Amino acid sequence: MTRRIRQFAAVAVIAGAVVVVQAAPALASETIGSCAFEKLTEAGHEFGSVDALIEVLEQEDHHEELVKFEDDLESCIEAPSPIIPEVNEIIWGGSAFLVLLFFMVTKGFPAVRGAMDERADKIRDDLDAADQAKSEAVQIKSDHAAELAGAKAEGAALIDEARSQADRLKADLSTRAESDIAEMRERAAADIEAGRVQALADLRAEVSQIAVGAAERVVRANLDAEAQRSLVDAYIDEVASTNG
Amino acid sequence: MADNRIDGYADAVLAVAAAEGESDTVEDELFRFAAALRSNDDLINTLSDPQVPIQRRQQIVEDLLSQKASAVTNAAVSMIVAAGRGGDLPVIIDSVIERRAASRNRAVARVRSAVELSDDQKSRLAAAIKSSTGTDVDVRVIIDPSVLGGLVTEIGDDVMDGSVRHRLNQLRESFR
Repeated sequence: MTRRIRQFAAVAVIAGAVVVVQAAPALASETIGSCAFEKLTEAGHEFGSVDALIEVLEQEDHHEELVKFEDDLESCIEAPSPIIPEVNEIIWGGSAFLVLLFFMVTKGFPAVRGAMDERADKIRDDLDAADQAKSEAVQIKSDHAAELAGAKAEGAALIDEARSQADRLKADLSTRAESDIAEMRERAAADIEAGRVQALADLRAEVSQIAVGAAERVVRANLDAEAQRSLVDAYIDEVASTNG
Repeated sequence: MADNRIDGYADAVLAVAAAEGESDTVEDELFRFAAALRSNDDLINTLSDPQVPIQRRQQIVEDLLSQKASAVTNAAVSMIVAAGRGGDLPVIIDSVIERRAASRNRAVARVRSAVELSDDQKSRLAAAIKSSTGTDVDVRVIIDPSVLGGLVTEIGDDVMDGSVRHRLNQLRESFR
């Protein structure tokens, strides 16, 4: 970088020097005043003196001399040719151009070319790095897309599995609930029937207990000695009539 | 208790009674005592309770039998209780009665009745059983008020139930 700056500075100094050198001959060239002075001097020599020239020009009958002198003066103020420069300008300009061209070819252009090449290399490297980064980004993006797709697929599979499990669980629970309900109904019906049977049995037992109790009280009240003797005799007769 | 041991105690009691010439008395008193024992679980539990001292159990037996039974009967029961066999008294007495009846080629007819039977009823009952089963029996009557009326006769494993209680039970079953 420092080397390149030095090269540009050298080119600028050289160009400035050439311009200064070229400017010196231009300052030395003929001006409008000097041209007019020369024309006036020539006209003075022609009429003897400048005062004589002025007197002649002030006279109306010397109109042709006046027109000629005005043309001479106007020739001093005519512009130089815009196409063809003066010879000395061509020499100085060409020399400056050659010097400038020499330094530009030997110093400036290589420096500029080196800077441009370096810049181009840097841009190329940057482009390569950008391409590499882009390709890496694309690769990462594709990897992420693949991972995302895999995750989505896995998530979808998990959701499907969870849904199927939930369906199975729901079906199992429903079946079990129906089975439990049926079993509970059967059990309730059995309990009711058992309760009914038990209540009926209890009622019968109670009734029989009451009836037998009443019968026993009646029997006890009527079992006097004679009745006891009759029962015993009847038993003995029954045994005797039984063949073993 | 093993049958041999029961039979041993029964043989001992019978031998003592025979030696004293009180076989009939001892047999009758033991039969009554056995009936009393069977109707009183607390008495059997007390006589078979090892926590109760032997002397205390013997004293209970003596208090029960001293005024109501012969000295031979009292001594026989006291001997069995002292040997720690108070809980086996009912089966030992049953064995005594059965072995004595068997010695006369007879069986024992245990008759439960609500009232005492007359001798005539007993002899007619023995004759009726002889007529029915062909077996001579000694009729042993146990007063059992729960019978209410009629008789329940047990000869070995055979039972002839003609009691009022049995009729009432049949009536109760008929309601079910």
